[in-house]
Amino acid sequence: MSFDHFLHWLYDTPFSATMRESVWAEPLFETIHVLTLTVFLGFVLLLDLRMLDLAMRRKRISAMFEHMNPWLFGGFAVMIVTGLLLFSADPVAFYSTIFFKLKMIMLVLAGVNVLVFNKTLGRRMGEWDAAAATPVGVKVTGLLSLVLWVSIVAAGRGIAYALPPP
Amino acid sequence: MHALQAAILSFCEWCNASFFGTGIRDSVWLFPFVEIFHLLALAILGGAVIILNLRLVGIGFRNDPPSALHRDLRPWMVGSLIVMLVSGFLLFSTEAVKMYGNWAFQLKMLFLLLAAVFTFTLHGRVTSRDDSPAGARWAVAVVSTILWLGVGLGGRAIGYVTTAATAATP
Repeated sequence: MSFDHFLHWLYDTPFSATMRESVWAEPLFETIHVLTLTVFLGFVLLLDLRMLDLAMRRKRISAMFEHMNPWLFGGFAVMIVTGLLLFSADPVAFYSTIFFKLKMIMLVLAGVNVLVFNKTLGRRMGEWDAAAATPVGVKVTGLLSLVLWVSIVAAGRGIAYALPPP
Repeated sequence: MHALQAAILSFCEWCNASFFGTGIRDSVWLFPFVEIFHLLALAILGGAVIILNLRLVGIGFRNDPPSALHRDLRPWMVGSLIVMLVSGFLLFSTEAVKMYGNWAFQLKMLFLLLAAVFTFTLHGRVTSRDDSPAGARWAVAVVSTILWLGVGLGGRAIGYVTTAATAATP
């Protein structure tokens, strides 16, 4: 089954039809998606700004991670679930927009950015955590994350405007 | 009609006809472009408020005294609130007269006024002191959460009220 077939198959499921036709599903999940931005994206942006030495400089980055991680994981889970639910209402139309594809690519890149950091500088956090300024590599990670997440928000808004009107 | 209502309505009409109101309305991409700033500032303002409230009730960020978090986050809260107000005003100006009669918008503005005043008075006072009693901490955290949630939910409702009103118009 090709991906295109999968999208059409998903569209034809009763679940997708329910999501599409329900008066409450879209406003409910969109509202949860947008309000969870505060926990997930808000924390990510503050973490990025901390890595760039622009925010909360008194707080160590190791402490930032320690305190934020449960909320970041929880928030991300809510974003993914509500995002998938919104997508499932009209997968063919979502996938037909360039913004949806861009958003997915940038989400993967943001994930790769986190993985690379965890395998390299994140693993040696003890060596630079107490320094007066964050190392260049940490700043690059923070900047990449910041640019990617701003673009992900922009692409997300783009999807709404590129979708054919209901 | 009261004089105040007339003044507000004529202000809305002025916004509607202003160069930014018409410019954003006539452009395909300017409205979503301004929305991006509104959403990014929402994330930072909401994130900062949530960090402070989690600390106040002792669920998160326990290693930091509330006063330190308050000092570190306040510039970001002020900055993001300014971005929200400017971007929000620009979005409002494209449909200002419609917004005048939109109950969700009116509710949002009421909550916004209360939330902003509360955040920079009582909430700020309790958060900036490390010896605030637990009862006061819980009270301001709960009230702040309710007020900001009211702003957010009111904002989400605006679009649906507009759509319903448009659909009802013959």
